[in-house]
Amino acid sequence: MTTRRGTLALVVLGAAAAVLIALELALGALSFGQPQLADPCTSKPAFSGGGLDGATQRFALETLAGAACELHTTREELVLSFVPNAGTERIRWDQATIDAALKAGLDRAAQDTAGKGFAGQALAYALRELVAPSIAWFLGTANGT
Amino acid sequence: MLTILVAVGVAVAFADSSIVVLALPELYGAFDTSLVGVSWVITSYNVVVALCAFALVPLVKRMNVAWMTRGGLLLFCAASVGCAASWMLPVLIAFRCLQGAGAAMLLAGSLALLSALGGSRARGLAIWTAAGTFGAALGPALGGILTQLFDWRAIFVFQAPVALLALVAAFESHEHPSVGRGKSRRLAANLGLALVFGALVGALFLAVLLVITVWGLTPIEGALVVSALPIAALGARPLTGELSPRRAAAGGALLLAGGLLGLALLPSTSTAFAACSLALCGVGLGLTVPSLTRRAVQPDDGLVHDGTITIGARHAGLVVALALVAPLLSHSLQSGARDALLGATRVALDGDAPIRQKVPIALDLRNALEKTPKGKVPDLAAPFDKRGAATDPNLRQVRDELIGALQDALTRSFRSSFALSALFAVLALGPILAVRRRAAQ
Repeated sequence: MTTRRGTLALVVLGAAAAVLIALELALGALSFGQPQLADPCTSKPAFSGGGLDGATQRFALETLAGAACELHTTREELVLSFVPNAGTERIRWDQATIDAALKAGLDRAAQDTAGKGFAGQALAYALRELVAPSIAWFLGTANGT
Repeated sequence: MLTILVAVGVAVAFADSSIVVLALPELYGAFDTSLVGVSWVITSYNVVVALCAFALVPLVKRMNVAWMTRGGLLLFCAASVGCAASWMLPVLIAFRCLQGAGAAMLLAGSLALLSALGGSRARGLAIWTAAGTFGAALGPALGGILTQLFDWRAIFVFQAPVALLALVAAFESHEHPSVGRGKSRRLAANLGLALVFGALVGALFLAVLLVITVWGLTPIEGALVVSALPIAALGARPLTGELSPRRAAAGGALLLAGGLLGLALLPSTSTAFAACSLALCGVGLGLTVPSLTRRAVQPDDGLVHDGTITIGARHAGLVVALALVAPLLSHSLQSGARDALLGATRVALDGDAPIRQKVPIALDLRNALEKTPKGKVPDLAAPFDKRGAATDPNLRQVRDELIGALQDALTRSFRSSFALSALFAVLALGPILAVRRRAAQ
């Protein structure tokens, strides 16, 4: 036989379960764990570092985003496609396509930097000369070639 | 005293279904095996308990129950020693099978023995049910504590003297246990128990794997989180007296489903949310299992016969759920690992660290990914720690965000398996309501 106390306890426990689930949903349970990958064609690098190092990294990230946009993928997919055992799709582009995408990315990054005046153009040229071989080396190293 | 010793033996035999879950990572390393290989340490025990229990059903009325219990305890004790001394995985699995056979015999026989010791069949059944419910819920926490304090072998070393003391109690008892008059068929209640134990795969196995393997908690920390389950199951015990069996079983199944849904919808890698969800599962377990067991086993009708079917039904439910959940989790983890790496790469690219640190760390992360065996979580903290993450707050932040992104995505990949476990609990409502209709007729 069910007592009033028993029914009340069951109702309280049921309400606790409902509150727990509602709280979890309110705290973003549905989107939790999904990688928040930005669209490389429209977004700017989120890197906030300053100085020459910061400018170099922003330029490299802009290049990577430009290349990823050109290849219709994300920056992250592009980087991981060069890493064996990463579980993502392995490189699915030939060398010429990658080179063309990197060049497009470099142009985009240079244009973006050059838009800030003469000093920007000079810096863009220097960065382009400095960063292009570094990216090519990094991707080559990551690819194990 | 003799009753307590036998009840503890029953609790340990039920706990054995899940007691090694927290030790799985250690067993994985000790035997240099695959995840599938190490999972057989759990599966083999449950399969053999289910098979032996069903095989015993037609025999129990013709067997000497006292000697069956003693034989089961002796086999369980010897097999526990064998498990502790195992030097390779196939040997451990073989001894786990023997343990399962012993457990089936002792669990079936102990119903009659506890009835004799307790003075009535109803009291014996109540003790047996309480020991079984608490033991099943306590398994992972107990195994975790023993694993961290000593090592995985301690789990089996601990069981041997418990079984031995229960064996002494079984020999000391001069009562004459009887198996009951006839036999009954209580399909709905047993189906309900099978589905509830299937749902428990989420709370007993998945939750433990999540907090230990993905969140990186130590076995004792993991045991503290999952101890919410047995504590809540014990706390729910007085409530069963305030509710009708049908309401307790149905309410318990819904609370179990709610707790599992809570685990499926975790909004972060939060031990507080996990513990609250497990507590709900524990209350659900504490309400449902005793109520359904009372329906499935009629003390004056077919005590041992019905009890043996119930043992088989519970373990069959665990095995079927494990067989369904394991491939689902494996598939989800594959896509979860991909999302985890994408999220981690985003953090690595955007992280506020100088390029002279980022490039070598990125190459080390690549090496870590390459060297990590399939099915294991790569150690992505080491490349950061090697380059001073302990003293560099920026680097430490990038490391923590990167590992957080990895854990978040892997936690999410448990979602479908928890949801499937919750579905088992919801499906249990069907047989629970059918029990009520039959009872009304």
